[in-house]
Amino acid sequence: MLAGLLIITIWIRDETRKISYLRTFVQVASLIGIFYLFSLTLWLSVVLIVIFAATIFLGRFFCGWICPFGLYMDFISQVRKTLRIGYWALPEWLNKNLHRLRYIIFVVILLPPILLFFLDPLYQQKWASALFLIGSFTPLTILLGPLEPLIVPWGETLGFSGLSLSYPYVRQVIVYSSGIFVSINVFLLIALTVASSFLVRRFWCRFCPTGISIGIVNHLPHFKWAPIMHLNKVEEKCTKCGICKRVCPLQVTEVYDQKGGDIATSMCMLCLRCAEMCPYEGCLKANFNGKTFFKSRNWLKK
Amino acid sequence: MTQKEIENLRNTIKTASLKVISENIARMKKTSPNRPEIMQYFDEMANLFGQREKEIKELQDQGKKVIGYLCMFAPVELILAADAIPVRVGSGWYDPAKQGDKIVPVEVCPIVRSTIGTKMIGLSPFLEMSDVIINPPTCDGMTKLGEILSDQKSIWTLSAPRIKDDPQSLIFWKEEIKAMKKKIEGLTGVKITAKRLRAAIELRQKASLAFRRLQDVRKISPVIMGRDAMLVSQTITWDDTQRWTEKTMMLCDELERRVKQEEWACSPSNPRVMITGTPMFWPDNWKIPHLVEEAKPQGLIAADELCSGDRILYDPVGVDEWTGSDMLSAVAEKYLMASTCPCFTSADGNEDRINWLLDRIKEFKIDGVIYYTVRGCMLYAMEYARVKRILDKMNVPIYYLDTEYTREDVGQIKTRIEAFMEMLDTRVQLSRGTQP
Amino acid sequence: MITAGIDMGTQSVKVVILKDNKVLAQSSVFSGFDPAAAATEAFNKALEKAELTKSDLQYFIATGAGADMAPFHNSTISMMGADAKAATFLFPTARTIVDVGAEEARAVKCDENGVMQSFVVNERCAAGAGTFIETMARALEVEVEEMGPLALKAETASPINATCVIFGESDVVTLIHRQESKPEIARAIYDAMAERITSMVQRLGVTPDVVLIGGVAKDVGLVASLKRKLGIELLIPENPEFAGALGAALIAARKAGGASK
Repeated sequence: MLAGLLIITIWIRDETRKISYLRTFVQVASLIGIFYLFSLTLWLSVVLIVIFAATIFLGRFFCGWICPFGLYMDFISQVRKTLRIGYWALPEWLNKNLHRLRYIIFVVILLPPILLFFLDPLYQQKWASALFLIGSFTPLTILLGPLEPLIVPWGETLGFSGLSLSYPYVRQVIVYSSGIFVSINVFLLIALTVASSFLVRRFWCRFCPTGISIGIVNHLPHFKWAPIMHLNKVEEKCTKCGICKRVCPLQVTEVYDQKGGDIATSMCMLCLRCAEMCPYEGCLKANFNGKTFFKSRNWLKK
Repeated sequence: MTQKEIENLRNTIKTASLKVISENIARMKKTSPNRPEIMQYFDEMANLFGQREKEIKELQDQGKKVIGYLCMFAPVELILAADAIPVRVGSGWYDPAKQGDKIVPVEVCPIVRSTIGTKMIGLSPFLEMSDVIINPPTCDGMTKLGEILSDQKSIWTLSAPRIKDDPQSLIFWKEEIKAMKKKIEGLTGVKITAKRLRAAIELRQKASLAFRRLQDVRKISPVIMGRDAMLVSQTITWDDTQRWTEKTMMLCDELERRVKQEEWACSPSNPRVMITGTPMFWPDNWKIPHLVEEAKPQGLIAADELCSGDRILYDPVGVDEWTGSDMLSAVAEKYLMASTCPCFTSADGNEDRINWLLDRIKEFKIDGVIYYTVRGCMLYAMEYARVKRILDKMNVPIYYLDTEYTREDVGQIKTRIEAFMEMLDTRVQLSRGTQP
Repeated sequence: MITAGIDMGTQSVKVVILKDNKVLAQSSVFSGFDPAAAATEAFNKALEKAELTKSDLQYFIATGAGADMAPFHNSTISMMGADAKAATFLFPTARTIVDVGAEEARAVKCDENGVMQSFVVNERCAAGAGTFIETMARALEVEVEEMGPLALKAETASPINATCVIFGESDVVTLIHRQESKPEIARAIYDAMAERITSMVQRLGVTPDVVLIGGVAKDVGLVASLKRKLGIELLIPENPEFAGALGAALIAARKAGGASK
């Protein structure tokens, strides 16, 4: 499949799709990479810290190009496109408030286990694993992805053993709950992530805690340079045609609202769809430490 | 006026117009003796009473609908998708303006007066053949023009909001486009399906591509005189899109060859002029381009910011997912948000237009700008102050020129344009270190 | 290096013959119905005065509204360009030039080399040009040459509200019937003209020093009103109506590879 994708990426004529296909290729490659990488046991917490730290430098590049969950959501979007169903664009005020939700979710996921760990020694073991201070990714569960919450809790019953929850929020939610709440939470998770990304592009990403590291770090005086990989707009070339705002899967409006210069946003996952679709040469650029590695071009030359 | 008088007037003006058209082309040929051969096609199409009139008549007889439009806000893609014929009907004839004076005061925009006059005497074949006319009331003149024409033609008003980057404006505009889609479907009896719309959008995208190629060639070197390029750009407003695209591509092939062989249409040291302002319609309102490119010292119109020229095809429709709703959104957004018309305003004063001008000046290496308006146009005239301020800061000479739909002021304008060209030429020579 | 400049003005043709930056001769002839003939006449007169023949001239530039009609010229130059050159030649500190001709007034900005930077022309209004004075003189029943001194006698001006020469005339007739004094009316006429010229110059922006040229610069009445309205001193050359032709001759000298700058 990888080879197939690579071939498509190289041969595709449609200029407005090239980067998207390349990204899918990288995403699938990453998935396979992660699968094999994590067959060596690795502590989840380390993974999280690495991602959060990398985000400070690379922006939400992880989200756009590596995260397997992103890949699944993109796949679901592709199913939608094939069925010729239009997406639902969230109203801007709702989208902006979801961005704020990220911080709350982050706190909710991490804080309670830490507190309870110290407060309730009886559950130390459980919380520890919930906190993933110990514990690892299981390759199989990475592959299962969003379906994980469906399968893992009943893994033992169904005869799958050795499965453990890998996605942090899933783990939190499942471990806290019991009985009927397991099912409710599972349902909620699937609804929130898988189902809704059918109609709303990359729904989970809009309130996923990844990326808040940029948001937090930008408030510190010495870290204004973060991230070093980001979008940049040339003011004079922009005609405010609004294509970038419309095609963005995360509905990031800063790329349109800002007049020029580096686009400051902690939401952009650098999928480069905007730069890919911008019809004015050299207007939107993706910069890494000041060097442009992709810029918008006259895609009419299909 | 009696029927006989109207007919006489029409015939007189038509004959005069045919003469003007052939004179214009003769003048363009004289300036540029080695004009590409493919320009012959555009010269033929330039005859508004010729081949294209016959073609549209035939198509109409076969049952196709002709939808005229007075302004670039009309969604041409929707018209094409409904298998109808889009044609721009703003008047470029000087003489009918005098007829229009009988109905509206002489202070009114000459384009509006001329369009009224043209309708009165039935001069324009396209206007006469239109089954309906889309009229976006972008300015006072246009608003009332629709009313005046509605006595004789079916008018569809397409309101554009005055502020284009508010979210509520876009919502309103999208509703207008949806309503227009229904109207077009109703008139033509053709349902605009996603498939048809896609075909229409792709057709126009190809036209945009051809146009961009032409622009790219003009950026590099003076292989084509501005008047020729302006005629090519404007022809698409009445020509068949597919054929126009093919011919323009052929023209670009030839021009790209000439770039390589360095076969210039005029000297590369000629001052490169950009004209910006109110639309300049063929055939009569070619006054200023003629004067610029026939002046001593000669100027080259390297680019323009006119909705009768470079603005027609510059912005393509950018479709994300080829679903019906996305395509319609894309079409709507292209017409509203990419436009630099001064009928819009924003907190920063139509900065889109200023950005466009600045970008052009850099990309096309423009030496001077002629800010052209027809007398009575408040929108363009009032924007001059801001444009001048920015261009002064950039040290780009800009000259304000306003004129009427009349031939009598050619002498006056000639002296001014020649003085401006002299000034530009001196600056160009000084900056290159050659003696002016 | 002997060159000549010919200014084909709307009212009269002016010729200047220049040798090594010195004016050898100048002459002016009314254009009438045949500007080309008038040009030839002026040209011959100038040659006579300079005691030269046509073959002595190295280069010949025509300017003015009828520049293309000038007989035997090597090239043409715009009036604005000629004005800028002449003004800086006559007054090296000149940066803004106001040229009031018979039918058109213009203002030009230039740099220290006499290179035109920008210009503005008075549009569709003859009330900022010389013909206005003639029309008004007729209405007042005085000679054109008397208008200036007449206006200087007045301390104040009667109000004239005309936006147009035509209405201005009837305004003046009304004032005469009201038995306002002629000096006051004359001054008002010059003030109205100065108003129009000033607003035109201010569109361009005033940078000192300001030079006034054109035939009308000899009219003391206009000069006084203009100084008042512009609020700045005006530098006026000895023969202001020949400035255009002089500028053309100077540029001719440079074009022919001459010594003048």
